[in-house]
Amino acid sequence: MPLRLSRRHVLSGMATGLLMGGHAGRAFGQAPKRIIVPEGEFTPLPIAIPNFVAGTPGDAEVGVGVSQVITNNLKRSGLFAPIDQAAFIERIVDSDKAPQFQSWKQINAQALVTGRMTRQGDGRLKAEFRLWDVNTAQQLTGQQYFTSPEYWRRIAHIISDQIYERLTGEKGYFDSRVVFVDETGSKERRVKRLALMDQDGANVRYLTKGSDLVLTPRFSPSTQEITYMEFGQGDPRVYLFNIETGQREIVGNFPGMSFSPRFSPDGQRIIMSLQQGGNSNLFVMDLRSKSTTRLTDTPAIDTSPSYSPDGARICFESDRGGKPQIYVMAATGGGAQRISFGEGSYSTPVWSPRGDYIAFTKQGGGQFAIGIMKTDGSGERILTAGYHNEGPTFAPNGRVVMFFRDPGGSGGPSLFTVDISGRNELRVPTPGFASDPAWSPLLS
Amino acid sequence: MSVKVDKTVLASVALHVLVLGWAMMSFSTRALEMAPEDSVPVDVVSPDQLAKVMAGMKSGKKENPKPLVEKVAEAKPVDDAVGKITEKAPVVTETAPPPQPKVEEKPIEKKPDPPKVVENKPKEEPKQEPKPVEKKPDPVKPDPIAEAIKKEEKKPPPKPVQAAKPPEPPKPRIVERHFDQSQIAALLDKRDPSRQAVTGDTLNSNAALGLAKGAAADNSATWGAMFKQQVTRCWKKPYGGIEQQKSEAVFGIRLKRDGTLEGMPVPIGTPATPYLRVYQESALRAIIECQPYKLPPAFFEEWKNFEPAFTEKT
Repeated sequence: MPLRLSRRHVLSGMATGLLMGGHAGRAFGQAPKRIIVPEGEFTPLPIAIPNFVAGTPGDAEVGVGVSQVITNNLKRSGLFAPIDQAAFIERIVDSDKAPQFQSWKQINAQALVTGRMTRQGDGRLKAEFRLWDVNTAQQLTGQQYFTSPEYWRRIAHIISDQIYERLTGEKGYFDSRVVFVDETGSKERRVKRLALMDQDGANVRYLTKGSDLVLTPRFSPSTQEITYMEFGQGDPRVYLFNIETGQREIVGNFPGMSFSPRFSPDGQRIIMSLQQGGNSNLFVMDLRSKSTTRLTDTPAIDTSPSYSPDGARICFESDRGGKPQIYVMAATGGGAQRISFGEGSYSTPVWSPRGDYIAFTKQGGGQFAIGIMKTDGSGERILTAGYHNEGPTFAPNGRVVMFFRDPGGSGGPSLFTVDISGRNELRVPTPGFASDPAWSPLLS
Repeated sequence: MSVKVDKTVLASVALHVLVLGWAMMSFSTRALEMAPEDSVPVDVVSPDQLAKVMAGMKSGKKENPKPLVEKVAEAKPVDDAVGKITEKAPVVTETAPPPQPKVEEKPIEKKPDPPKVVENKPKEEPKQEPKPVEKKPDPVKPDPIAEAIKKEEKKPPPKPVQAAKPPEPPKPRIVERHFDQSQIAALLDKRDPSRQAVTGDTLNSNAALGLAKGAAADNSATWGAMFKQQVTRCWKKPYGGIEQQKSEAVFGIRLKRDGTLEGMPVPIGTPATPYLRVYQESALRAIIECQPYKLPPAFFEEWKNFEPAFTEKT
């Protein structure tokens, strides 16, 4: 029996087939289901830092020291939770071999730092380290450095920065210094000296003898020079101090008082306030040509200038509106725009090295607070408040702010750090009272 | 049997295949992709989901969360462990009542016809509506069977009055209500039971109320919430500062039945910044650290391969 296929039959059959095929394809080619895991809570990362292995018997002490400095740095950052060495199961004896990750998993470590310190034949110290991801059993980073044995702490800071950067995605800030005003003696006979230390409070060096009053020290971008104000025999003057040579010189020869100096980002100029009668205005001086340029000319007190990281703008404090407020203007002068509009008065503005925030001291309601705001004045955020907090300075990565706090009474000021989110406020160890801190850029 | 196919038909087929194939490729957009589900991690099941997903045993107890499993084998849940008898015709016994004539319902079914009456009478002047209704019987008249049925229907009412007369049909009903012990054997169903053993991963002798079937609808809200809860415990999210960053890390993962990873999670997409790389690594660490995952075995087919997406607020 012949079977005739009409066009309609064929088409209807095809259509059915295509439809079914389409359904089947969808069923078989189904994409895996996506499960959204919403924002987790920030938790400090558990990290294990065993003592660095000693390459020679005499290097054991420095191996312990390096691991302690790294542990302290990471712990103080608030982003890591170093695990107590007493909990370690495996003892690292060879930093070249991969560790037994299972034994580090058992103590809930997510990252592991192993390393070795070896004294070389030429007297130099060789430092090696590896950062491991315990869960994926992979090396995240590894470096080796050579240095003079006395700089082992710097090596530890550099390794800390490497670990910090690899595990947070941000630049570190541990290999940096802080210059501050060291204060000793009774309140009536307070001796103020310029002092320099590592950011963790170690290696304190005094730069001046304390015979003259010093204020507002600021680092140069090269970290080799410091500019500050000193009350000498006459008017207070701005000085330039070379850390390596110990030499100092007066910046400019101006009639009247000069104060509040700060370097430009390229280190070629110093911006400062000059007193003119009852007013003060902003001037910038080129360190090579010694030429000075006036930036403001107002019947008000313009002071505390600070450059933006690109050097294009400056923020400063001015009472031209009645009360001290923060203004922003071009680095070449011109019209200034007020950016602080909160209650109270604002002073000591400083631009973040990242360029995103301006930190300030805010006075009002009987309190001094340290805060930050965006460069357009929005997003004001108070980080800490109390009887007397003042003089914020940013860490090189712009993530941490250091300031000084004076509790009043018979005591004296101390240095503190706080994260720019307002958390993890910590006291910085100093030998005596300390004020007016200025954080250096990264040394390396 | 020979098949004759015209050449034009073949050409037409080929052309249509080309056109339709092109259309399928061209018009199959991604619009049908499911948007990332935004479920709340709570154990609430909507009535709709319940109807779709749950097909447990009515006799089960709420307290039994595990599925009834009597034999360890490939999972094969059964709706009702009691055997079903559906194929064979009902058993006819001596005492069974004779099939009842269903004459009573037929007249009722016929009644919906009246609208036709209205249509058949368009020539008449548009009179008031009630009148066409009165004319309902007219079209029915040609149907003699319906008439006969109607007549029969009218008859039953007087029947109870004449119940004294011994008509045979009512008698079997009375007999049915009698319990005759000697006839029990005849009433018994002698067929083999069709009951099957319920199988699964682990033995469980208790029947549970409400079980998920392998072929059930999307249950990702349930097991997805369980996964989130577990992986979040291990996730040490990196500190992103105070800026709100839109970070996302997506992985393709394959899990075994025991909840462990079949292989390393595969990151989907390349992080653009150091922070995003760190963010992705932190999520990867969490996925690895938190295994094995305790997820409902019944939904294994769904969670054996999925994509967890770790996200930040925007």
